[in-house]
Amino acid sequence: MNYEINMHLDTIAVIRLYGELDHHATEQIRDQISRTILQGSLKTIIWNLEKLNFMDSSGVGLILGRMRELRAVNGQTIILNPSNTMKKIFQFSGLSAYMMEKKEEEAIMHARGIVNG
Amino acid sequence: MDNEMTLSFLAVSENESLARMAVTSFVAQLDPTIDELSEFKTIVSEAVSNAIIHGYDEDGKGLVTVHAVREGDVISVAVKDEGNGIPDLKKAMEPLYTSKAEMERSGMGFTIMESFSDNLQVESEPGVGTVVTFSKKFHTVKMPQIS
Repeated sequence: MNYEINMHLDTIAVIRLYGELDHHATEQIRDQISRTILQGSLKTIIWNLEKLNFMDSSGVGLILGRMRELRAVNGQTIILNPSNTMKKIFQFSGLSAYMMEKKEEEAIMHARGIVNG
Repeated sequence: MDNEMTLSFLAVSENESLARMAVTSFVAQLDPTIDELSEFKTIVSEAVSNAIIHGYDEDGKGLVTVHAVREGDVISVAVKDEGNGIPDLKKAMEPLYTSKAEMERSGMGFTIMESFSDNLQVESEPGVGTVVTFSKKFHTVKMPQIS
């Protein structure tokens, strides 16, 4: 399990997840992700799952947990590039509204409130 | 029965990926589609994580056993622990219910297992342990016959 966090303008965190996200992996990365995103004046987390090969319900717990942390600042969550199986898992868990069919750059623009065209 | 495997390992979270890897190799002979395989791996991952987290409180001592059988294009799996057992099974199977909210467990494990498998059963007794059994039929794509 590996991940990468890129900050945009201090308000948007793009988290790219790599490999397999299970209970073991979430326990390894949760605190560090949490600490990083709680710095600055974060408003949006964009989860890019393009390179994530596997995710079970632990991934739902990880995302829901960060949504809870963002609630204090009325922040938003965007989920990009889930596999078919991940899509179903998000649907069961009531997270379908957060999935977006956009490229990462488009999602960042969206989060900044810039609408194209 | 066409094939059978048994895998036992200690209740440590590192072994969740071991269980997924073993069952992935076991079903490879059926040529599953990517979606079938990832759904199957998800069910196993949920059941094994439950056994490690809830059955044994990650004590690193208890044994989790994964037993898989292949009959034609149907794989049946039993994930067994001899741990705490589930006091209220009906409640445990409700979507979003978790006894470990502080660990950020989502409470979606059983819902996902039920949705991705063809037939899921849970037997549990407090102080004795838990067995989750399920089966899944694989719709193998057969190569067209060239005459």
